[in-house]
Amino acid sequence: MGSINQAKTQKLLNQTLRGYLLFSVLILLISMPFAYFLMQKLHLDDIDEALFLRKKEFQAYHLPTFRLSEISQWNKYNRDTKLIDTLKIPQKDSLFFQSFYDELDKEVEPYRVLFVPVEIEKKPFLLLIKHNLIENEDLIFNILGLYAGLLLFLLLGLLGLTQYFSKRLWQPFYQTLQQIETFELGKTAAPNFEQTQTEEFERLNTVLQNLIEKSISIFQNQKEFIENAAHELQTPLAVLQAKLDVFLQMPDLSQTQMQALDSLYDLLARLNRLNKNLLLLSKIDKQIFHTLENIKLKEVIENQISFFEEQALQKNITLIINNLENKWVQANLTLIEILISNLLLNAIRHNHENGKISISLSHQKLIISNTGQANALPANKLFQRFAKIDTSTQGNGLGLAIIKKIADLYGWEVAYTFENELHVFEVVFE
Amino acid sequence: MKLLLIEDENHLAKDISHYLNSKDVHCEWANNFEIALEKINAYDYDCVLLDLTLPDSNGMDILKAIKKQQKNEGIIIISAKDTLESRLEGLALGADDYLTKPFHLSELLARVQAIIRRKQFSGNNVLVFNEIEIDTFAKTVKVNQENIDLTKKEFDLLLYLIGNKNRVLSKSSLAEHLSGDMADMLDNHDFVYAHIKNLKRKLQNAGAGDYIKTIYGTGYKWEA
Repeated sequence: MGSINQAKTQKLLNQTLRGYLLFSVLILLISMPFAYFLMQKLHLDDIDEALFLRKKEFQAYHLPTFRLSEISQWNKYNRDTKLIDTLKIPQKDSLFFQSFYDELDKEVEPYRVLFVPVEIEKKPFLLLIKHNLIENEDLIFNILGLYAGLLLFLLLGLLGLTQYFSKRLWQPFYQTLQQIETFELGKTAAPNFEQTQTEEFERLNTVLQNLIEKSISIFQNQKEFIENAAHELQTPLAVLQAKLDVFLQMPDLSQTQMQALDSLYDLLARLNRLNKNLLLLSKIDKQIFHTLENIKLKEVIENQISFFEEQALQKNITLIINNLENKWVQANLTLIEILISNLLLNAIRHNHENGKISISLSHQKLIISNTGQANALPANKLFQRFAKIDTSTQGNGLGLAIIKKIADLYGWEVAYTFENELHVFEVVFE
Repeated sequence: MKLLLIEDENHLAKDISHYLNSKDVHCEWANNFEIALEKINAYDYDCVLLDLTLPDSNGMDILKAIKKQQKNEGIIIISAKDTLESRLEGLALGADDYLTKPFHLSELLARVQAIIRRKQFSGNNVLVFNEIEIDTFAKTVKVNQENIDLTKKEFDLLLYLIGNKNRVLSKSSLAEHLSGDMADMLDNHDFVYAHIKNLKRKLQNAGAGDYIKTIYGTGYKWEA
């Protein structure tokens, strides 16, 4: 996974949850005013019904026997049902919202009012029945609050449950993911996926398992093929070498014949080198060099240096040994010797006449830099097998691949840079 | 000097015996376990060259069988197997040397001579060639009774050339002898020339004959 993509990606669980959350909040927001109006309407209907009931009561129990003289008495004791003597009497029952001044609370309060035309002793009167809406508003708000609380509670519960279930449901997926992330072809064993109850995950695991097993077997076959091929080549190479050695003893060889033989020897040496390198790579793969010991790198370099000085002399290359610190590593001695000799041989091989090579070793890294061609080498191809950068030399394109492989084995990093006309190879420890 | 070569690859066996055979060396050949064992039982050899991979047996078994006879021959394993384990196993079972295929025949001859020197002249390791005297143990060289000062590489080179006297040696075989496994990694073997030149000069300065011949600039020969 690239680091650029990583910033944008989100966890699957969070994405689902975000969807749920958005939907719930939206529903809540839309439903709130709707619920408010609905509840208000229901409640108003209720009040109106109550007002009509009171009208019916009045008409049934009081009106038949009501006297004009009783009106002032009635109005005195009834706050919400009054008889009014007015000229503006509607023809039928009518409902209104009206505000009245409350003597007790000393404020204007909203009321629902029912006007009913009645006749008392043949005289028309207006029956006013009213109901205070203040308490009802409170009630509505209380109900709405309760409703909102419930919804919120439901939402939270939903969130929690989703999280819990999703985590539990997706757990096999995350396990599988982690196992594939740690899997490395040729280095770690095939992952063993746990059985899950979810069909899709079980399918995923089966498919992955097959894929990985197939890859491993192909990888194995390829490795064995290289190893067998290299191994089988050794006998014909040995025969070829012996034949040349015998041929060289023939009396009266001409100069041309001798020169032809000489180039055959050179070719044979290249073939041998290639074969040995292939064998070496597969040996590293097969972990033949598993014995570790504490190695003082400085000593390994110093032991080899005279050999390389001799080789460098032929191109008149100067070998500069900078400060070598007492760095110890735990590794296989053979491999470390190969690592260092390959680095140095590379520096000689790709150098020009009268060039320079400098070596320095600190606790953090080993740096070998050399003069050579004037342009930087393509760093991405450099460490691949058979990636020949410089076709003029006799390198077989395996030297750097071997360096990389050995470094990988111990978790070190090999880096290449081109600075101040110098090709710099670094082995960074840890 | 009698050698037994146990090797199943006919071409290689033929070339090895052809190269090793000379006035004083006689090389016999067995291409399987059975014949090899028969020969070892019947005759005494100075040195046995043993290929580890034979069609009818594991080479290590032959090694054990030879060692059971309690004879005093030197044993050199010649094998395509190049692992530290098989090397150590071979040496632990009593082999004296281990040479990995492919090798130069001249290198094989030098190894055979080294082993025979070790086995036969216990205490006396002086090799004489005309006016040149080489103490292989003390690693000193005298020309006309006078010590001459040689580097380790020049000493090895001298011994190698004399061991392969009258045979043409290729530059690559000399390079391999001088730098061991490293020679495989080298692009060119021209560094051999510098050593040859120095050795030649030192021998001539001390009054030795001019035995080292350059063959058309590509090979070298110690001419006796």
